[in-house]
Amino acid sequence: MKKHVRVDASKAYRALEQNPYRPWAARITSITPLTEKETLFEFRIIDHEVREHFNFNAGQFMELSIFGVGEAPISISSAPSKKGFIELCVRNSGTVTGALHEMSCGDVVGLRGPFGRGFPFQDMKGHDVLLVAGGLGIAPLKSLINHIHDERQAFGTVTILLGARNPDEILFRQQFDMWRHREDFNLIMTVDTPDETWDGEVGLVTRLFDQIEVDPANTIGVICGPPVMYRFVIEKMREKNLPVDRIFMSFERRMKCGIGQCNHCAVGHQYACIDGPVFNYWEAMNLQEAM
Amino acid sequence: MFFRVLKKDQIPTFIEGLAVDYEVIAPIAKGLAYVFAPVTCGARVVLDYPTTIVPPTAYFLKPKEALLRYNSADGEVVETVKDDRKRILFGVHPCDLNAILMTDKVFLGDYEDPYYKARRESTLIVGVSCTPRQSCVCHMFGANEVLQGYDLYLTDIGDAYFVQCSSVEGAQLLDTLVETREATAEDTRALQKHVARFRQTLGEAPDTTQIPLLFDARYDEELWEEIGSRCLSCGACSAVCPTCYCFDIVDELDANGVTGSRVRCWDSCLNSQFAEVAGGHDFRPTRASRVRHRFYHKFWAYPARYGKTMCVGCGRCYTACKVGINPSRVVAALQGDVGEGEA
Ligand SMILES: Cc1cc2nc3c(=O)[nH]c(=O)nc-3n(C[C@H](O)[C@H](O)[C@H](O)COP(=O)(O)OP(=O)(O)OC[C@H]3O[C@@H](n4cnc5c(N)ncnc54)[C@H](O)[C@@H]3O)c2cc1C
Ligand code: SF4
Ligand code: SF4
Repeated sequence: MKKHVRVDASKAYRALEQNPYRPWAARITSITPLTEKETLFEFRIIDHEVREHFNFNAGQFMELSIFGVGEAPISISSAPSKKGFIELCVRNSGTVTGALHEMSCGDVVGLRGPFGRGFPFQDMKGHDVLLVAGGLGIAPLKSLINHIHDERQAFGTVTILLGARNPDEILFRQQFDMWRHREDFNLIMTVDTPDETWDGEVGLVTRLFDQIEVDPANTIGVICGPPVMYRFVIEKMREKNLPVDRIFMSFERRMKCGIGQCNHCAVGHQYACIDGPVFNYWEAMNLQEAM
Repeated sequence: MFFRVLKKDQIPTFIEGLAVDYEVIAPIAKGLAYVFAPVTCGARVVLDYPTTIVPPTAYFLKPKEALLRYNSADGEVVETVKDDRKRILFGVHPCDLNAILMTDKVFLGDYEDPYYKARRESTLIVGVSCTPRQSCVCHMFGANEVLQGYDLYLTDIGDAYFVQCSSVEGAQLLDTLVETREATAEDTRALQKHVARFRQTLGEAPDTTQIPLLFDARYDEELWEEIGSRCLSCGACSAVCPTCYCFDIVDELDANGVTGSRVRCWDSCLNSQFAEVAGGHDFRPTRASRVRHRFYHKFWAYPARYGKTMCVGCGRCYTACKVGINPSRVVAALQGDVGEGEA
């Protein structure tokens, strides 16, 4: 596998001679409540030229603006192949995300991006993929999963391990419930606390590692979830002998500018916004304060 | 290089001439200290000032500025007018000139900041030599020398300034506004004397070889707890530092509740919520972790990205710090040259 190099996401802005702080107006085109706190929003950038130019990699994020309230960095949930629309899966966790949850279809927000280094999609081709998500971590992984789905024949075995606190908190549950029976995806879901509707696994996502086969020579691991989850999942992946530079993860940090200037998202000597948010484990081990 | 000699008594005339077409920002006395401020009267300018409270970088990255204006009702956005007023920063010391070159790397890099850029491009810089104070350690970090970044640079050679002219605009202003003469061999000797005196005052520079390596390797050590136990997290150091540039972005609404501005304002990595994320997790919850982060950014993260230490040794932070935390002592402690309690 090739070196996971820093991408220069700034090119798109330079090509458009665009002020990186100026968001594009985008209209909310659909709103799908997922759980009590999380909702999937679909947006369409209003400017035709910008919309045509818009391209991204799974794992990159947008800065979402609600004018008069502020901005928040949110991972793109849709696949790059879904042209013309951008989906963001947002948890209502504060002022901006709360204000978004008050909005309706047809309302206008601001979006700027895409920012950051996403998953090394092209380099993952030809490999088996092991994806592990906890809670809201599925938001950026959803983009990757859908992209893999679009080009399924380019990948080997695809295993997805999903963890949530309880069945009501599983994001995209309907879609994943159907996927459990697919031949081309090995999907296993688990919850900490089951209810009467639950017929899946119970326990932490790390427990699922006993049920899966991993070919360490040819597998790429991807982890996304709350900060506490990383250490334990990495341990499991290392037990399966995945090499340190083939385990990828996405970091969440406080962020303001998204372009490597405000310093809020510094992780050791790197920035989550331009060097990440996706880092491999080798890089993360070399970053102070990473985990 | 193109050299001239300018008599000191010409400075007020020069400043007043410049002030006709430019906003001139120069050091003036304020109480017992000095500040950069707009001037029109040349006599107010003090060129042999020790240092200023706030660094001149504040004229490029403003303490507070509106980036955008918006209408929150319909999502309509307009960029604010970029401040590209013709301006001259007059009397900038070598350390501060080097600091400007450092913030340039950040704001004129992959993503150009249009606001910073507009001001940078419309501002001429006239540098001036200085007399080092006790707290100055510019020579530790190679910031005692100015190789670029100025339009004119004035070196004090007694009753005149030895002027290096680096830009056409600077040279033309000098030629049209004041009387100068060509530098003679005697002037060059006076320049040499100034340099010798400057070197003598600063003394020998402590060796800072491999500082980033030591920072990296000694990350987990008690030294940081010790420094952190004294640090008050007050942020005074970052507020006066010419190379600190952390900022925050907030939305402000006008009184009508509909229109408003997106505002960028100075922030400090020493503030307690600087690295906190939703769910309450804080990546730097302690004072020790934050003050360490400030030093790591300057001596390890910035050099790793841009190839140069992000401290110019101006001594402002040390002077502002109530508990006397001093970058040169911290570096010396890391090198093992002074005890850890003395950092
Ligand atoms: C790369 C990246 C991808 C993300 N992807 C998603 C996603 O797909 N879906 C999702 O729901 N959330 C995502 N987040 C988290 C989201 O950005 C924060 O929840 C959001 O910024 C909170 O903003 P707020 O205004 O609603 O909350 P606030 O009212 O501002 O604050 C609520 C809490 O969030 C923290 N916070 C404030 N600003 C930020 C910030 N800029 N970044 C992180 N935390 C902050 C505060 O410390 C506070 O504890 C992502 C964050 C990053 C960095
Ligand atoms: S860290 Fe201190 S000495 Fe260094 S540039 Fe900033 S204020 Fe000056
Ligand atoms: S000025 Fe001194 S006490 Fe205040 S934050 Fe800086 S190092 Fe800490």
